[in-house]
Amino acid sequence: MEKELHLVGFRVGRETFGVPISMVREIVRVPEITAVPNAATFIEGVINLRGKIVPVVDLRKRFKDTAPETGRKTRILVAEVDGQAVGLIVNSASEVLKIPPSEVEVPRNVFSEGELSYISGVGKLGGRLILILDLTRVLQRSELRSAGQAAELVAAEV
Amino acid sequence: MTPPLDDRSSDLRELFFETAHELLQSLNEDGLALERGTGGEEAIRRVRRVVHTLKGDAAAIGMRELSQLAHDFEDVLTPELASERAADVAEAVLAAADTFESLLSAAAKNLPSPGGESLRALIRRLCAEPAPKAPRVAVDSKAPRQQASFEWNEYEHSLISETLAKGETVYHVGVSLDLTNLMPSAAWQLVRNVLHSCGSILVLHPADDAHAEHVEVVEAALSSTLPLETLRKRLRIPAVTGEVVLDRADVAGEALHELVSAQHGAAEGAAIPSAAPSAAAPSAHAAAAAAGAGAANNLSAASRAAALVDKTLRVDSERIDDVLNLVGELIIGKSMLSRTVAEFDRRFQRDPLAARFADALGFQSRVLDTLQKSVMKIRMVPVEQLFRRFPRIVRDIAKMRGKDVALTISGESTGLDKSILEPLAEPITHLIRNCVDHGIEPPEERIAAGKPARGTIRLSARHEGNHVVIEVGDDGRGINRDRIVERAIELGFVTPEEARQLTDMEALGLIFIQGFTMLREVTQISGRGVGMDVVKTALENLKGTVNVQTAVGKGTTFFLQLPLTLASIKALLADVGGQLYAIPVASVVEITRVTEGEIHEVDGHEVFQLRNQVVKLVRLNRLNNAGAPARASRRLFVIVVALGDRKFGLGVDNLRGEEELVIKALDSRMTQSEFVNGASILGDGTVVLILNLPVVVARLSRAVMAEALA
Repeated sequence: MEKELHLVGFRVGRETFGVPISMVREIVRVPEITAVPNAATFIEGVINLRGKIVPVVDLRKRFKDTAPETGRKTRILVAEVDGQAVGLIVNSASEVLKIPPSEVEVPRNVFSEGELSYISGVGKLGGRLILILDLTRVLQRSELRSAGQAAELVAAEV
Repeated sequence: MTPPLDDRSSDLRELFFETAHELLQSLNEDGLALERGTGGEEAIRRVRRVVHTLKGDAAAIGMRELSQLAHDFEDVLTPELASERAADVAEAVLAAADTFESLLSAAAKNLPSPGGESLRALIRRLCAEPAPKAPRVAVDSKAPRQQASFEWNEYEHSLISETLAKGETVYHVGVSLDLTNLMPSAAWQLVRNVLHSCGSILVLHPADDAHAEHVEVVEAALSSTLPLETLRKRLRIPAVTGEVVLDRADVAGEALHELVSAQHGAAEGAAIPSAAPSAAAPSAHAAAAAAGAGAANNLSAASRAAALVDKTLRVDSERIDDVLNLVGELIIGKSMLSRTVAEFDRRFQRDPLAARFADALGFQSRVLDTLQKSVMKIRMVPVEQLFRRFPRIVRDIAKMRGKDVALTISGESTGLDKSILEPLAEPITHLIRNCVDHGIEPPEERIAAGKPARGTIRLSARHEGNHVVIEVGDDGRGINRDRIVERAIELGFVTPEEARQLTDMEALGLIFIQGFTMLREVTQISGRGVGMDVVKTALENLKGTVNVQTAVGKGTTFFLQLPLTLASIKALLADVGGQLYAIPVASVVEITRVTEGEIHEVDGHEVFQLRNQVVKLVRLNRLNNAGAPARASRRLFVIVVALGDRKFGLGVDNLRGEEELVIKALDSRMTQSEFVNGASILGDGTVVLILNLPVVVARLSRAVMAEALA
């Protein structure tokens, strides 16, 4: 038996993304966010996570959703990236996805060019495409494409 | 090179590097004393002792080069030589300190040894003119040693009996330490570790390493499941342990002890030896215990004395940090609780519980306050730890630059948080270098100016309210303000117009700009245009400030102001455009209110009048890029802060009062912002950012200027 890949799935815009479950510490509702003046533009601010101060990135803005609405389902997914806790605002996060490795492709062409290198693989699950994120890359300062564009590029290749 | 390391020797290495640093420091101090001619024979003896210790310790961890050098050096260090050729010896001692240091740091980083040729040459020179050598007695490593005596006390015996009664196997272990090349406390630690790995230690003599300083034999009672021979093998640590005595304890032996002690209790001491053979199973160590009782008593008396002297505890500072963090959490917890209690009071005013809540809360706050102060005190270390390295630095630079400089140090007992003290080493070193290099004139020039040929650098520390002020001053030529400004214009740091408006302190502050240098050529020590900005950045990181005062011809003094601790800060909380910011109280002068109508524009700056002073206004809402609509009738809260010798008004929407904040670092690279140098969590869970005022004021007031020009 192949070992299944366990991902925490979440939605940003209309796409489904996934990060390895081992990187995710917890998922919380959106508390009050304190903006940090002069910090990187994609940093939404910091939150108080039970006495720890954790920076928060709005993944929706990161993927070019200019006016994201925070609703009932909006969540902060607290992940550990390079030893530090980071909060990611996502449209919704609920499911744990189990994907057999054979269903995960690492697309080469588009991704080797660097622009999409923050996607480390694409999983297929019941006709859906799950974009597996490399969070270290996502949190670099360079610009990212919108989630929709990323999905199109991926779909074109897979 | 070092032999392959196992766990034990890496423990030993760490211990060695830690102590070696102190040894080198004392070498430096004694070297300086010898050079001044104030050390005398006492100093040379201390140096010998230190070199000797280094030799042994280095050999123990396999640093042969260092050990050999120390050995050679020790040989030439005789009181006679020291009195005959004091200067050479002093020079050699200082050189030795440097060489040892470079050998050590190379070894610590596992780099190839840099070699000690220069020191060897010095040593040869010292030997060249044969000084009468003190007769050396070779240390006989096979000198008769103390034997293991297994002198347990009542409690320990009962512990052994109980363990035996449970059916476990107990060994009496006696290990003599090989002290030819090892610190006893280190050897003791190793033996203990081995014992620990073999089973559970019931009794250990000496019981801790504070007692282990003069120990030659470690004795233990060990409950272990290992066979005797395996134990023996494990305890034979090459170069650490010598003879190993192992005995299986048996119930009979313990019974014998009970018998013996019973008789002892009946004050018939003389009957003991004769009673032993008559017992059912005479045990060798019981007899030995009786025979060696005298010696063992002496030993334990000595170790008791050592215990009294050595009450200090070496603790990894991280452990204290952990405690401090927890105290911080408790303080946040307390303010959560007090908010809740206040809410309870409002809702149930009549409830008798309210008063009891308030009492309990008051008690808890007092204890918490004391707890916080106690933990802070643990972290406080005297600035002496930092200052003691500077005499050597001053001496070296002065020598290199052909200057005669004395360093006077005062206030070295002033306490400062360790986490602040360490990062201060670099900026203070820079300042002192600058004093020697630029401040103090060459002797001829000083004499011509009617000053003593020897220049003086003062290094002092003192408490001032919630701050520590460190002063670095010289009696040299001082800084010419006009030349600084001229040079700053030349380098393009300020325009001539701006220069005209600078206060004296601001003009002198120009030397702290990155890239500023007065020298057109670079010397070996300073003049590269790096240094002063390093000082300023270092101080800002520590939430401190640096200022300069100078008088031409009389000298320059740098004032470093530092908070006592980086763990908490008293701050004023202010609302700005819907967000809360904390402003350190230390900088706040006063709070006032102005209407928009009272704000004027001068030279592209917004200003207002504070009594008879015109003060620049910095609107903090610019931080959030949210310009609130200005209505003439609107009254603005203004927090007046002093930075250097200038005042600024910070415009805020509302004030929330003063609070003691527990500082949490915003160390994630993502949230780094020059405007903010920390964050805190309030009782209601709100995150508040602590403003880095110098940067905020500099940036926001400049922005106004730029806009006005556009």
